[in-house]
Amino acid sequence: MRLFRLALMASAAIAGASSLALAAPADDTIVVGFGADISTLDPGEIGSRSDANVAAHIFTTLTRISESGEVTPNFAESWSVSGDGKDITFKLQAGRVCEDGEALTAEDAAYSFTRAADPAMEFTGNTPGFVFPSIGYTGAEAVDDTTLVVHMANKNSLAPGFLNEVYIHCKDSYEKLSKDDATAHPVASGSYKLKSWTAGSELVLEKWQDPGNFTNIVFRIIPEASTRTAELMAGNVDIITNAAPDQLDAIDASGSAKVQKVQGTRRMYVGFNQKAKFDTPGAMAIKKADVRRALQYAVDVPTICQQLLNFTCERATGLANPPHDNKDLKPYAYDPAMAEKLLDEAGYPRDANGVRFEMTLQGPRGRYLNDANVTTAVGQYLSDIGVKTTVELYEWSSVYVPMIRAHDAGPMFFLGSGGGLWNAQYDMSDLATVDSGPNYTEWNDPRWFDRWADITKATSVEEEDKIVNEMLKVFYDDGPWLLMYFQPDFYGVSNRVSWTARRDEVIELNEASLAK
Amino acid sequence: MWTYIARRLIQTVIVILGVTLISFSALHIGGDPTFLFVPERASDEQIVEARRRLGFDRPLYEQYASFVINAAQGDFGRSLTHRRPAIEVIGDVLPATIELTLFSMIIATVFAVPLGVLAALKRGTTTDGSIMILGMLGQSVPSFWLGIMMIMLFGLDLKWFPISGHVPLLDPLLAGDFATAFTNLPQSLYYLTMPSVAVGVYSLSRNARLVRSSMLEVLSLDYVRTARAKGLGEFAVVVHHALRNAWLPFVTMIGLEFGFLLGGVVVVEMVFSWPGIGRLLFDAINKRDIPLVQASVIVMSVMFVAINLIVDLIYARIDPRVRL
Repeated sequence: MRLFRLALMASAAIAGASSLALAAPADDTIVVGFGADISTLDPGEIGSRSDANVAAHIFTTLTRISESGEVTPNFAESWSVSGDGKDITFKLQAGRVCEDGEALTAEDAAYSFTRAADPAMEFTGNTPGFVFPSIGYTGAEAVDDTTLVVHMANKNSLAPGFLNEVYIHCKDSYEKLSKDDATAHPVASGSYKLKSWTAGSELVLEKWQDPGNFTNIVFRIIPEASTRTAELMAGNVDIITNAAPDQLDAIDASGSAKVQKVQGTRRMYVGFNQKAKFDTPGAMAIKKADVRRALQYAVDVPTICQQLLNFTCERATGLANPPHDNKDLKPYAYDPAMAEKLLDEAGYPRDANGVRFEMTLQGPRGRYLNDANVTTAVGQYLSDIGVKTTVELYEWSSVYVPMIRAHDAGPMFFLGSGGGLWNAQYDMSDLATVDSGPNYTEWNDPRWFDRWADITKATSVEEEDKIVNEMLKVFYDDGPWLLMYFQPDFYGVSNRVSWTARRDEVIELNEASLAK
Repeated sequence: MWTYIARRLIQTVIVILGVTLISFSALHIGGDPTFLFVPERASDEQIVEARRRLGFDRPLYEQYASFVINAAQGDFGRSLTHRRPAIEVIGDVLPATIELTLFSMIIATVFAVPLGVLAALKRGTTTDGSIMILGMLGQSVPSFWLGIMMIMLFGLDLKWFPISGHVPLLDPLLAGDFATAFTNLPQSLYYLTMPSVAVGVYSLSRNARLVRSSMLEVLSLDYVRTARAKGLGEFAVVVHHALRNAWLPFVTMIGLEFGFLLGGVVVVEMVFSWPGIGRLLFDAINKRDIPLVQASVIVMSVMFVAINLIVDLIYARIDPRVRL
């Protein structure tokens, strides 16, 4: 009898819990399901897309990038560039404050720069690790409460766009915080402040100033794609990122949510590694531009997209994202006969076994959308034209990444590289110098690398664009990438909310609202 | 007994040293570990400086010695992704894993005994067959697949249980906040149900089969027959005479169960978004957060080894033959 009573009480407790737990989000709350964990909210350390998507609601930035890729004012109302192009003067909004009541002025903005750049802080986030080297940052100073000057070593017309990744925060607040405290206890300068953060589980933001239509934003960490999908279909989550391609139809058929498919900004390509250590006949062949060009015709990229990614794509013409690509360039067609003809002309006829040369194609397993199958398909297309290809697939983080970073992958390797919406040069900066880290192919064509100096000397945007287009033409003709596609991104969006996915993986929720 | 304890302690230390050696090697297998600690576009000077500062320019044996000494003091360095001491990050998630492991263990033991006894008593009947088939299924089905199926059926379609998430129970208890722990209890159990079943069903099946075979062996012994001949009721015979002896091997197994279940939670934590050490480890591996991987592996190994040691010592106390 006692056991029975206990069981009854447990059932009642669980029934009570279920009525609480299974409630859909309240009308003033939007819930986003992320696949990746959030690791830090220290402005100097933020590096991953998940961290940045949360931070963008907590911290303001000088500029922002619009959905269409334009650099627009944010905390900075306007800006002007000095005659030599090395200084940018930002006019900041007056009357802004941080969450703790401290006024947000140019002094705070300057501090945000110097704190991130301080070697003693040992930050490795995007601001010190990518933005500052990219613009040649040398310093920042406050002229008065609303005027900030950012100094650079050289003229850089992209700087205002890059600075959308520098998070502005209040000086007095952050001087009091230890590095560990700054990781988990941000002091907001944006429209939302941190309400709670349960590590590995969820993070709740609360609105404290405009803009923003929801009072609460909840970011839930749901690593498994099928669980994210189930939470979306059950109505517990409003937006999910990285919906799995095999679950898109189920989401659309659920009646409670729809899939938004967007062509992302991540450039997917097969690299032709030029490094000297690769000296097999096949590796030597792909060091010739005419061979690389021939191989472009061998791969049917639209079919790969359709069959393996569940997405209709247009093949990339270079490493710049549309609409900043070279419009005169047309995607290479799938034309195996042309590929074979060009290889014959390049001095690589088929031998008695039908083989022109042998090749090793390496790729990651589980990093990009269906990457293993895409790599295998490319290998098969190459084999079909007589390039006998061996495909090698590797675990991403512990094996493939070290190979890539040491420029030891290849001779051919499949990879993706994150890009941007707002300027071709941003995308092209992967290959800023011959010895730059992301030049994984060790390509060294002076017709590309020497032109960066010409861009610096250009006196107008039109002149810059002309040089950029010429560089993109060189890349298209003789570049080190077998051009593939821009990786599609799949979002699941509940019918409860109105929100539109962006191409650049930025999750901006200020404009999101309840569906009418 | 003291000799036995000393011998087991030495063995334990050797095992833990082996684990630290493997964990240390993980940092160097992928090449120069300095690249993990600097931005991708770092200059050569920055890389050289970082290598010196981090001590990666020292001989490997020196680095290993430092690693072991620091690890013994709980210092595994800072997590590359969480930007905090790795041991602190683990401290945040460990209670959730212990909750899941303990609850799975309860499921695996509490249900196994009656099912095993019932199967033994009904040997050769449909009841016995059904329990054994279910047992075989439970041991055959991968836990992650079972988890996904449970999510689809009980979470999405029937809406009986939450699909994912966690309500802390152990955390407030450890912090001495009993009121919060009590308030959280119903929801904690509610969120624990599906993941615990997914983790525990393999052990439940194995344990039920173990109890059944053990019971069958005991039920055929003379003293049970004698008990029945004395006119004792069937309940008293089974519970007070047969089961008392039949569950000795089962009790031994329970001790080792914790370590087994601890390993099993890794995938299930991913499926149910359970914020535990298994998910943390999986994420750290994907992000090449080597200090966090090392710390997670060593903490899990130490827990496993410690529990085994405790079980062995208890068993040695109960059964002196073990010490020989």
